[in-house]
Amino acid sequence: MAEELRTEDMTVNMGPQHPSTHGVCRLVLTVDGEIIRDCVPVIGFLHRAIEKMCENRTYAQCIPLMDRFEYCTSMSCNWAFCLAAEKLGDIKVPERGEYLRVIMGELNRIASHLIFVGVTPMDCGALTPFLYTFRERERIMDLFEMTCGQRLTYNYIRVGGVAKDIPPEFIPKCREFLGIFEEKIRDYEKLLVDNPIWIARNKGIGIITPQLVYDYAISGPSARASGVNFDIRKNDPYSIYDLFDFDIPLGTNGDSYDRFNVRVNEMRQSARIVAQALDQLPDGEIRAKVPLKFKPNPGEVYSRIENSRGEMGVYLVSDGGPKPFRMRARGGSYNHLQAVPHIVKGLKIADLVAIFASMDIIMPEIDR
Amino acid sequence: MVEVVKQFASGIYNLLLGMFTSGKHLTRHAITVQYPKERWEVPERSRGMVVLLTDHETGRLNCTACLLCMRGCPSGAIDIEVEKDEKGKRHLKNFTVDFHLCCFCGLCEEACNFAAIKLSRKYEFPEYDKKDLIYDIQKLQAAGLDVPYEKPVRNKVEPKTPSAAPAAAGTPTADTPPPPPPPAAEGPTPTEAG
Ligand code: SF4
Ligand code: SF4
Repeated sequence: MAEELRTEDMTVNMGPQHPSTHGVCRLVLTVDGEIIRDCVPVIGFLHRAIEKMCENRTYAQCIPLMDRFEYCTSMSCNWAFCLAAEKLGDIKVPERGEYLRVIMGELNRIASHLIFVGVTPMDCGALTPFLYTFRERERIMDLFEMTCGQRLTYNYIRVGGVAKDIPPEFIPKCREFLGIFEEKIRDYEKLLVDNPIWIARNKGIGIITPQLVYDYAISGPSARASGVNFDIRKNDPYSIYDLFDFDIPLGTNGDSYDRFNVRVNEMRQSARIVAQALDQLPDGEIRAKVPLKFKPNPGEVYSRIENSRGEMGVYLVSDGGPKPFRMRARGGSYNHLQAVPHIVKGLKIADLVAIFASMDIIMPEIDR
Repeated sequence: MVEVVKQFASGIYNLLLGMFTSGKHLTRHAITVQYPKERWEVPERSRGMVVLLTDHETGRLNCTACLLCMRGCPSGAIDIEVEKDEKGKRHLKNFTVDFHLCCFCGLCEEACNFAAIKLSRKYEFPEYDKKDLIYDIQKLQAAGLDVPYEKPVRNKVEPKTPSAAPAAAGTPTADTPPPPPPPAAEGPTPTEAG
C-alpha cells in the first residue's frame, strides 16, 4: 500500500495524422505531464521526389511539379523556378508579364496568409475566423481560376513570362475585392487581436529571439516578427518590386501574437502592391519568345523570392541540355521546423500547437 | 484593484465586439452552393477533362498526329498510336489519355498548334472501375463534340508558303508548317457545358 509514487517522462507521438501539424509531420514528444521536455520532428511523410523528377523533365514540364512543391502559394513556386531558368537562359521578361506576375504573386500571398489567419485561431480553438477567411480566399481563387483555369495548381507562370493574359473582367473583379478587403481585415482583427483569450494563448509564447533567427536562418514573416528587418522584396529586389511603394511590417517581441499580427499587416501591404500594379499595368507582350526546345546555357544559378512563408529559393544546374541537370528548392518551413524544438522546451503541449501554427509551417515544402 | 477592473471591462468589451462582428453575419445569406442540386458556373478557361476536338465541317478530328502534346505532357498521360500509309503520310490510329496520370496542367493544349486537344470545362467524370478512366480516341472525341473552340486562323503572316494558305479552311495536315505561337482556343466563347 505504501508503494512510493514516482513520475516518469513519457514519449508520445503527435502526428503524423494530426490536424494541427498542417500536413503529415510527426513530432516525437517527451513529456512530463503536460510539460514538453523534448521534441523531435520526424519528416519525410510527404516526400514526392520533386527535385529528382525535375531532372527528368524539360523546363516547361517542371512548372506543374513546382505547383505541388508548396500548394498554398503555387504561384510563387512557379515564379521562383522560372526566375532561375530565366537567369540561366538570359531571358528578359516583358513588362506586362512582370506586372502580371507581381499581381498574381501578391494575390497568392494574401491567399496563403488568409489560410494562416484562418487556421491558426482554429488550432487555438476559435473556429469563426476560419470560415471568414476562406470566404475571402474564395474570391482570390475565383480570380485565379478565371485567369489560368485552376484553383490550386495554377501552372501559370512560364519561363519568359506568363501563360495567358488576364481576362477583361479580371481588373474590375480584383478592384472590387481590394475594395472590400480592408474592412474584412478589420473584422479579423476585431475577432482576435484584442480578444483576451487569444492574448492569453499567444502573448509571450514561443519567443524567437533575433539571435535564434540568425542561428536557424528563419526568414519571412516569422523572422520579421522578431524585429529582423529582412524582406527579399526590399533587400534584394527581384522582378519589379522596386517600382512599388510598400512597407515591411515588423514585430517586436517575436512571440506567436506578433507573428500573427505581422502576417495580418502583410496582407494589407500586399493589397497595396496589387492596387498599384493594377493602376500601372502597361499594355504589351506577356511572354518573351522562348524557343520550344528551351536549352539554357550551361551553368548554375540560385534565385530567391520572398514567399509567404519565407525565403523560397531554387538552385538550378544546367549542362546545356533541355532538362535541368540538378534542381534544388529551398522552402522557408524547413528552417522554421528545426527551430520549433528549441522554442517549445518547457512549454505545454497546447502551446506547441499554437506555436506550430503561428510559424506557418507547411509540410510539402519540407518534404518536397 | 483599478487595473483588474479595467482589464475585466476591456475583456468583456472585446468579447462582445467579437460576438457583434460574427453576429453581423446572422442575417446574411449563405454563400454556399448546394452542390449536387445546384452547380456553379465554372469560368471559361477552367481546366477540366482533356478532350479531342472535331472539325465541324468535315467531322474529322483536328489532330494531325504530330505528337507534340505527348512529348509536352509532364506526366506521360497521353499515348498516341500512329500508322503510316503507303505514301508515308501519318494517320492517327489511337489516342489515349490516362486520367489517372493526368494532372490537368494544360501543357498539351498549349503545345498543340492545331486546336485539336483542349481542356474542357467538364469536371465530373468519376467511374466505378479504374479501367474506365483510360479514355480512348472514341471517348475523347465524343466528349469533345459539344466543346466550343476557335479554329486558329493560320498562315496569314507567312508569305513564304503561299501554297499552305488554303489549309486554314480545310483540315490541317501533318505537312503544314507549324505556325509560330500556339493560338490556343481560349477566346471568350460562351458555352453552357459544365
Ligand atoms: S499536339 Fe495536337 S495535333 Fe499534335 S498529336 Fe497532339 S493533339 Fe494531335
Ligand atoms: S493536361 Fe497535362 S497531364 Fe493532362 S494530358 Fe495534358 S499535358 Fe498531360
